[in-house]
Amino acid sequence: MPSAPGQMARLFEKREAPGRGLANAAGEIAATCHSMAIRFHRGGRLFTFGNGGAATDAQHMAVEFVHPVIMGKQALPALSLTGDIATLTGVGAASGFGDVFAHQLRYLAQAGDIALGVSPDGRCDNVLRGFEAARHRGLLTVALLGGDGGAIAPSPAVDHALVVRSDDQRVVKEVHVTMYHVLWELVHVFFERPSVLVPGAGL
Amino acid sequence: MTEMRDLYPFLYSGDPGSGAGGGLGDVLDDVRRSTVDKANEIVALRRLVLERDGARMASCAERMAEVFRAGGRLFTFGNGGSSTDAQDVAALFLNPGRDARPLPALALTTDVAVVTALSNDVGFEVAFARQLAAFGRPGDIAFGLSTSGNSVNLIRAFEEAMRRGMLTVGMAGYTGGQMAGLEGLDHLFVVPSPSVHRIQEAQTTVFHVLWELIQEAL
Repeated sequence: MPSAPGQMARLFEKREAPGRGLANAAGEIAATCHSMAIRFHRGGRLFTFGNGGAATDAQHMAVEFVHPVIMGKQALPALSLTGDIATLTGVGAASGFGDVFAHQLRYLAQAGDIALGVSPDGRCDNVLRGFEAARHRGLLTVALLGGDGGAIAPSPAVDHALVVRSDDQRVVKEVHVTMYHVLWELVHVFFERPSVLVPGAGL
Repeated sequence: MTEMRDLYPFLYSGDPGSGAGGGLGDVLDDVRRSTVDKANEIVALRRLVLERDGARMASCAERMAEVFRAGGRLFTFGNGGSSTDAQDVAALFLNPGRDARPLPALALTTDVAVVTALSNDVGFEVAFARQLAAFGRPGDIAFGLSTSGNSVNLIRAFEEAMRRGMLTVGMAGYTGGQMAGLEGLDHLFVVPSPSVHRIQEAQTTVFHVLWELIQEAL
């Protein structure tokens, strides 16, 4: 192996700035959590989706909301659209992989639900199409993105775009993990204060 | 940093001046501060992990690279959020994309038929151990992720892997739990944090860096 200590320091160093950068998104994260908490308060459900490593993030988020690691926190309804292999392969084979998330959102979701898609480079076509289907159904849409945000960040189908400004998809993923842990925790901060979730509270 | 009040002035319309805490503006401010704190926490935790485990990560990556060179395979496992991390590890090795080299890796958590059959017929504690008994060969890798270090099915899986002559790699949090006392575990990375969330975030960095080192070595 090449010079281990220097190499190791370099691998950790490249994660430092994007990790700190999360603090710059604090305002947008707060607004996102508030919007999500309003939907949950009204009985809305969360649908998560993404490809590859981001599919595992989608599943991680769903388990986070349904089975909270902190005792006493309420279980909230969340479903990952990446978990049902029969549907993924069925829709993929019948109408193409680009439709796998959009199809599920068209038939499972209702107005007032939340669509949360993850795309580390902002360029996943099926994630964008998922947001478009969600927008059509009247869902709140939240995107966790990376790089320059790709085609998804500027899409009118996206209400909240949280972009990690790094081209290294593993670094982006690491910041995404912190982001969705924070989203989960702070949604509960709002959720436990119903007075800020009703019309007239400010939004 | 831009002030919350500048970004979202409309949020403050019903909460003027020094109004009582607990209004929307106050909660948004709390939440924003909390995000900044957590960003600082994970950055500091990664530095600590590098200090404590940097050299041991290098030697673990070296051993894992030797396994792949010799034709060995990687099996990953974990419960709950750690099951999704196990799947992320397997997906990263098997289908890394771009110019990276695909390597044989399988997450034991994805086969719902096998996991439910074992859990129903025997018990959840054998879920990963029995799968390793079926798949594992000497020279393969058993890679288990936990935050508590106390998951019984992980302990059983590592014991099975050791019996079969596999290289064993574990991740835990807090002070390592029972995994820290597991005789014969080849590599154990303990993220010293009291927060499940920060532990998982730092573990993600650890397995990403292991993968990066292995790709550079091969």
